Amino acid sequence: MSTEVERIKPVTRWTQFRREAGRALVAVVIAMLVTFVIVFLTSKAPLEALNTLLTAPIAKTRTIGLWIDDAAKLTVTGLAFSLVFQARQFSMGVQGQVYIGGLIATYVIQTPIGQTWLGLPLGILAAMIAGGVYGFIPGIAKARLGANEIVSSLMLNYIAIDVVNYLVRVQLGAPGMLYTDPFPVTSVYPALIPNTRVDLGVIFALVAVVAVWFALYRTNWGLKLRLVGHNARFAAYAGIRSSFIMVSAMTASGALGGLLGSMFVQGQIYGKLNVLFEGGLAFEGILVAIVARSRPLAVPFVALAYGYLRQGAQLMNIRTDVPAEVIGIVTAIIILLVSSTFKFPGKAFFGRLFGIRPGVSVSAPAGSAQP
Amino acid sequence: MALLEAINIGRVYPGGVVANDGVNLAVDKGEVHAVVGENGAGKSTLMKILFGVEHPDAGQLLLDGKPVSFANPREAIDAGIGMVFQHFSLVPSFSVYENVVMGAEPRTGITFDRQKAIADVRALSEKFRLTVDPLPPVGSLPVGQQQRVEILKALYRNARILILDEPTAVLAPQEVQELFVAIRSLVEQGRTVIFIAHKLPEVLEISDTITVMRQGKSVGRVKSRDVTEQELATMMVGREVVLRIDRTQTPAGAVTCEVNGLRLVDVRGNDICSDLNFSVRSGEILGLVGVEGNGQSDVIEAIAGMRPVSQGEIRVKGQDVVPMTVLERRQHGISGIPEDRIAQGLAVGASVAENMVATRLTDTRFVRNGLLDLKAIRAHAQALIERFSVRVAGPNAPVATLSGGNMQKVVVARELAEQPDLLLVAQPTRGVDLGATQFIWKTIASARDAGCAVLLSSADLSELLALSDRLLVFYRGKIVAAFRNTEAVSPETLGTYMLGLSAQTPEQMREALA
Repeated sequence: MSTEVERIKPVTRWTQFRREAGRALVAVVIAMLVTFVIVFLTSKAPLEALNTLLTAPIAKTRTIGLWIDDAAKLTVTGLAFSLVFQARQFSMGVQGQVYIGGLIATYVIQTPIGQTWLGLPLGILAAMIAGGVYGFIPGIAKARLGANEIVSSLMLNYIAIDVVNYLVRVQLGAPGMLYTDPFPVTSVYPALIPNTRVDLGVIFALVAVVAVWFALYRTNWGLKLRLVGHNARFAAYAGIRSSFIMVSAMTASGALGGLLGSMFVQGQIYGKLNVLFEGGLAFEGILVAIVARSRPLAVPFVALAYGYLRQGAQLMNIRTDVPAEVIGIVTAIIILLVSSTFKFPGKAFFGRLFGIRPGVSVSAPAGSAQP
Repeated sequence: MALLEAINIGRVYPGGVVANDGVNLAVDKGEVHAVVGENGAGKSTLMKILFGVEHPDAGQLLLDGKPVSFANPREAIDAGIGMVFQHFSLVPSFSVYENVVMGAEPRTGITFDRQKAIADVRALSEKFRLTVDPLPPVGSLPVGQQQRVEILKALYRNARILILDEPTAVLAPQEVQELFVAIRSLVEQGRTVIFIAHKLPEVLEISDTITVMRQGKSVGRVKSRDVTEQELATMMVGREVVLRIDRTQTPAGAVTCEVNGLRLVDVRGNDICSDLNFSVRSGEILGLVGVEGNGQSDVIEAIAGMRPVSQGEIRVKGQDVVPMTVLERRQHGISGIPEDRIAQGLAVGASVAENMVATRLTDTRFVRNGLLDLKAIRAHAQALIERFSVRVAGPNAPVATLSGGNMQKVVVARELAEQPDLLLVAQPTRGVDLGATQFIWKTIASARDAGCAVLLSSADLSELLALSDRLLVFYRGKIVAAFRNTEAVSPETLGTYMLGLSAQTPEQMREALA
């Protein structure tokens, strides 16, 4: 029996963390190497392009601001996806929640309230409630009707985008304009660093990280949510109402999506409602959540790293002949490597190369094991 | 020299279930070699290793005296080994001959030579007395004929050794005799057959040599003419393993659980079981006996709240639990050890502590104002780990790192941490090693001695006989026999009722039903 005890390797959090972080780093390095090769093959001035990609985001205060702002937004969408992924719900609705959140915040701000100091908090609150409701819909549709949450949440995204598009053109903005008038200053997030986009949203992102971590790992609801995510049948056997957990996880995630909507329309980035204001950022949360393994505390770090690459690519696009789409290659390779739980070719690979199959002692000398 | 030999085969499944542990098998050319053993003895795993579906963790295979290893079934087929699984792999809409030749079709140029395929199949079926028409679609044939198609498939690929995994389980007695005729003709023509079974009379009738397996080990190799059915049964069950848990003849307590007119239906509305009436008293273990799929595990699921009840009532401590949720039933004193610990009993990705507290999330010791008391949860887990001697690195270790027996101990520890009034147990020791089995048996027995009413279902008759105070035999969703468990009750007696060969009258049952 004592041998059995020794066989159990204590898997500490630290070793687990190192393993995951190492895996993510290797993925990034491989992805960057591929990018380098492509840039070298396609660009007339590859070194300049790479230099821009890697150093431009921290070259000026303004670009650092762009990076930090992007990272804050990536953090919030990453958290929203982490929350549903931990419950093993594949709701893809963050994008729609962002638009609906931004839209409802705009309605609140365009009332006289927007002119007062209440405009800021009420706008945020309205956006979060609206996002929560928009996340609740695919949840309840799944719980009551068995509707697949991937399909329904994706469809709701298109509805939200086009509703905002329509309302901005015909009602909220001046005729023919693709955006509203700028919001009153009282309803816009104050900048933390003047003349940059770094605003109150960064604080909200950090608060959201702690809040989601606390909810998942320190509350009853979070434990139930994770148990449902690990094994829904077991959760049911233990007496946990998994449909309630499912719907509430999607609703809470929706509220985060709504917050992100407010961070766009009320943030320094716009301070008004545009059509298509989100620019595809919401979906990047999937990458952030996957690389962070849906761990809320890892999300901001992944968001910082990925935000840096995104900004570098944008600047490379503007200043050199390499298009920003190159970053899509990086994204694809990282997702592929991280989500496939790849192992770095090692023992098994070389074993096979030399014809040794690990674990099977077929090469045992004949006669040695005869009965 | 043996044609096919397996030496010291070991196979541990991920999750720590020891399926094979030092198995030896030697099959001679031209014989019918039976491998017998109870459910879970490791027969199927051994056959999958021989056929290249599974890969052994230890040991070696010799074919014609030369070491071989099969990476996949293709290599095994190329080496002349064919296998017919319990669940056939046929295309129902394709004809018999198409199914037989599929993947190795005769060709003229680049086109499929249908005439030659039909002729080949017809010749093959005559040669081995496996009568089947090559032309109709397989889906239209009865099961016995489909099985012949599977055998023909293997023979068409020149199998020298044919592995049949429980071939008689799906056959009617008449078809069994026809199968045996075919097997004899195969052997006469120099082929070798490995025959997996657990029905002993059939094994003795058809086989030349028998290898007996028990708990993942091969425990004996005998010539069938030298052995009786009783001796084989003893080898299979292994008397020294059976510890009859001492049944303190406590006077029967009050009725804890009473099932009245229970009817369960499946998703299509067909009866799983109907009109069930029985009761369990405090301080007794009621064993539900039956071949798997005869309704006994469904009854247990229904009481646990995992399966809707179509009719009838389930009274626990005088109160009907049918309208209650799973959580309310647990709070009412019901707890359970489910049939499949990985699918239903545990969240293997979560930690041991989280698994142990999962059923107590309304308990103010662990949860207050919606917040977890991590210290109390960890201490609770640590106490249970010690009390149930779970071998684990610590309360925060993921359950996935534990062996099968220790995973089951986590389930048992959680469900028996506090004395329940009614304990529902299904297959408590399936795939669990001997040490853990004894521990789990003792734990269930001591819960009973402390006044718990226990409902136990198991595929392992020796387990039921060792633990139960009373036994109910299920056949096709009905109770066909009831016994008080005395020395007079043998696996053979239970067997005749389990297979529906006989049934008790209501008068005979009455004495043991309450």
